[in-house]
Amino acid sequence: MHEIFVLAEHRQGELRDVTLEMLTLAGQLEGKVTAVLLGSGMDDFAGKLASYADRVIVVDDPMFANWNAINFQAALVALINKDKPHLVIIPNTGQGADILASLALELGASFTSDIIGLAIEGDKPVATRAYYGGKINGRIEFKDAELYVVGLREGAVPAAEGGKSGAIEKVDNPVASEATARKFLEYEQPPVGDVDITQSSMLVSVGRGLREDKNMPMVEELAGLIGADVSGSRAVVDAGWLPADRQVGISGKTVKPKLYLALGISGAFQHVTGMKGADLVVAINKDPDAPIFQYADYGIADDLLKVVPALIDKLKEMKG
Amino acid sequence: MKIVVCVKQVPDTSDPDTEVHIDSSGKGVDQGKFSFVINDADNYAVEEAILLKEKHEGEVTVVNVGSEAANQVIRMALAKGGDGAIRLDDEKFAGSDPVALARILQSAIKDLSCDIVMTGCLASDDGYGAVGVALASLMGVPHAAYVKTVEVIGEGKLKIGRELEGGLLEMDEIDTPCVLTIQTGGNEPRYASFKGIREASKKEIKVMDLAATGLSEDQVGEAGSVAVMVQYSVPVVGDLAEILEGDPGETAGKLAGILKEKGLV
Amino acid sequence: MSIEHGVFVEKYDLLGCIQCGRCTGGCPVTERTALNVRRFVYDTVDDSRLEELSESPDIWDCTTCNTCAIRCPKGLEPFEVLLGLRAMRAEEGNIEQTAITALESMFNNGNPWGKAAAKRMDWAEGLENVRVLEEGEKADVLLHICCTGAYDPKIMPIVKKLVRVLNAAGVDFGFIGTEEKHCGSEARRLGEEGLFEYFDEENTELFGRYDVKRLVTLSPHCFNSFKNEYTNLALPVQHYTQLIAELLEDGKLELTKEISSKVVFHDPCYLGKKNLVFDEPRYVLGKIKGVELTEFYRSKERSLCCEGGGGKMWVESESKAPRLAETRVADAHDLGAQTIAVACPFCWLTIEDAIKAKGFEEEMQVKDILELLDEAL
Repeated sequence: MHEIFVLAEHRQGELRDVTLEMLTLAGQLEGKVTAVLLGSGMDDFAGKLASYADRVIVVDDPMFANWNAINFQAALVALINKDKPHLVIIPNTGQGADILASLALELGASFTSDIIGLAIEGDKPVATRAYYGGKINGRIEFKDAELYVVGLREGAVPAAEGGKSGAIEKVDNPVASEATARKFLEYEQPPVGDVDITQSSMLVSVGRGLREDKNMPMVEELAGLIGADVSGSRAVVDAGWLPADRQVGISGKTVKPKLYLALGISGAFQHVTGMKGADLVVAINKDPDAPIFQYADYGIADDLLKVVPALIDKLKEMKG
Repeated sequence: MKIVVCVKQVPDTSDPDTEVHIDSSGKGVDQGKFSFVINDADNYAVEEAILLKEKHEGEVTVVNVGSEAANQVIRMALAKGGDGAIRLDDEKFAGSDPVALARILQSAIKDLSCDIVMTGCLASDDGYGAVGVALASLMGVPHAAYVKTVEVIGEGKLKIGRELEGGLLEMDEIDTPCVLTIQTGGNEPRYASFKGIREASKKEIKVMDLAATGLSEDQVGEAGSVAVMVQYSVPVVGDLAEILEGDPGETAGKLAGILKEKGLV
Repeated sequence: MSIEHGVFVEKYDLLGCIQCGRCTGGCPVTERTALNVRRFVYDTVDDSRLEELSESPDIWDCTTCNTCAIRCPKGLEPFEVLLGLRAMRAEEGNIEQTAITALESMFNNGNPWGKAAAKRMDWAEGLENVRVLEEGEKADVLLHICCTGAYDPKIMPIVKKLVRVLNAAGVDFGFIGTEEKHCGSEARRLGEEGLFEYFDEENTELFGRYDVKRLVTLSPHCFNSFKNEYTNLALPVQHYTQLIAELLEDGKLELTKEISSKVVFHDPCYLGKKNLVFDEPRYVLGKIKGVELTEFYRSKERSLCCEGGGGKMWVESESKAPRLAETRVADAHDLGAQTIAVACPFCWLTIEDAIKAKGFEEEMQVKDILELLDEAL
């Protein structure tokens, strides 16, 4: 039976969701799943990982409290060379993508990045990647190797419930000396109260269909419920319902959120051009022929003033 | 300070109406209805390189793997302040994965004795986001990915800000020479005026083929790759929005369900 | 350098200015911004101040509507000074990101909208017999659609109507096809003189490939550039309203259906104030049965700009005051007009926005003259 290594990702004392997504994917493949936790004082996480893995390797050392590409890569190389897994899954995130290629090259592994699916065919992994902004998919085959390394896109595989109870092994830090060529200094939080919608992962965006700015609190309540920022069309900004830095479109900002919930926006292409990068677009508009529906994944052809209050109720219900 | 900035010409898929059709080979796409632009992140890398040059003096060399058509993006980078350019062009380079591409780039960069190599963090067409990191590994220098801010803090030392999920900046110190893959949004790429581009057309673009790189055929293209894209397919999604039917209570319920299912609430 | 030889002094004949203030007095954007064009004409005499003046955000408020030029007793074009200052910014590469995106797309794709050149004829989808001319091919009319007509989904149907109307009149016309390029008008208004010169050269060469008698445009902006700004274009240029007026006069175009509507015509700046084409659109509208044509108080030479031109599609003013298009729509509402007729894609878009902003969707619509003609066929 092959062994699959999964690198757990944590940041600022929290285990990131992508970790469970990787473990879920690994669990769907034939093999023994080993979670690798490089951290400092993170015993709680080990327990959580054990419910998704057959084995958890924990290296507890202050060196791994924060991310450092050189230290993490050195530790992984040592652990991988020792146990010789067949496949290593690392997160294709700000951390994982920082070492994916260099780790694989140092180990002489065949690798690919940003995969959205993985299967084992025969003895080898075969990966699926997205191309051209998700417009098409591609099948990736690897050159024969002792080891394969892949980076899994965050959110590509929904995390399942854990049901295992893997053994937790504490391992001494294999890295003798801390890196000097690169050092972690500190985190800088994004400025508070000054929303940069180009960086928002969720946006509730309003257009003229909102009719009056007295309806704005309803939109803000919806945004608050789903953790979204509020943006809008040029018309809404012009009307002074939103500040100029919240405007999406050719003369405003270009945004690329995971969710773009367009409320009462007709979808002039000057607007649509600014939201082209959104992963999921949901449009609510009274006019069933509004062009926004051409760009949306889901649509509701109804008055937003009726649908939004109902949506707020449903979301509150769901949250309990 | 000597800076190399790697740029890629990509189809402009930013227009939501851009259709991507798989060609008859199944390994390529019809390029007929594309327009081509500099990769977005590379555009920010060019700006970052030129800002550093303006502050600390030095020179910026633009490096590209591409055909003659890519001269367009190279000239724009030269017009913005690039000093010289190298274009690596050989039929044998086609089908290169990030490792093979990094090898090709390294063959041109290795003799430039530069302090910083910059690439965009991600290409908008194939989206590997791996070339810069692979390049650093081949060069044997430290690197950092998703860099949004760069500041020189001393001889051979930079302070950089890496952008993580949610907009959090991870501030690091890194020694030069190094490779930085640049994230979008950290600066405001300037405009290359048409006059400037015409002027820049006078600067030489050095062209290197496979022989000039000193690499062998099995180090480039599919032969030199560790992972090969063998077949494109169309993901199963509808063109038009799926319209949720019902009264407001029903449609809102369905939408809430979808958001939950997608992990968005 | 003496004042007499200042860069702007020579280029814009600044010493001809008597500082009477008729320019600023008539400038429509002073209603909503701080722009004072007379002041710029005065200040740019001093070369040493050009850099500082070019950094003023006010220079981007101008819509290049030509009001200042038409009012100037000395025959100057004050707004051109602002374009000169914009050109300084553009050459340094220091302009708004939205303008950069538009200009880079013009260079890469031949249009400001970020659309692929290969998709330029997509508007014709579903139309039969759309004739794209071959090199050397003969036709009476070469039709130039330009970028907004070719790519904006709201304007694309209007181009189809132009085809239907010209076919009904038996006009021998053809298109350039996907090789058609931006006219350069908006490049120049965004300060990109070099790019404008490129389009001048490219398009003149392109038009020269065909054996055509005249060039007809959909947009007054292209019409103006081809007619007044291109350096070597020998081809006669017309706006479509001029061609259609001719067709009606010659009895080649028959309008049979009645349209019962109170219509007010909004003069596009680049057709009216800039090129003094006031009569033809009104003549054409007057030929449509049932149309009750009324006039704005501010019409023809005194017409109010909609703020769609002058590069304003890409550079927003910070002003929160109502847009001029909204003022225009309110005026039309006061007149009891049911239709605001336009003859320019930019006017169509800005006025449609303004009707929505005022909440007048139920009471009035914006229609291009071509839409009315198509209904009347």
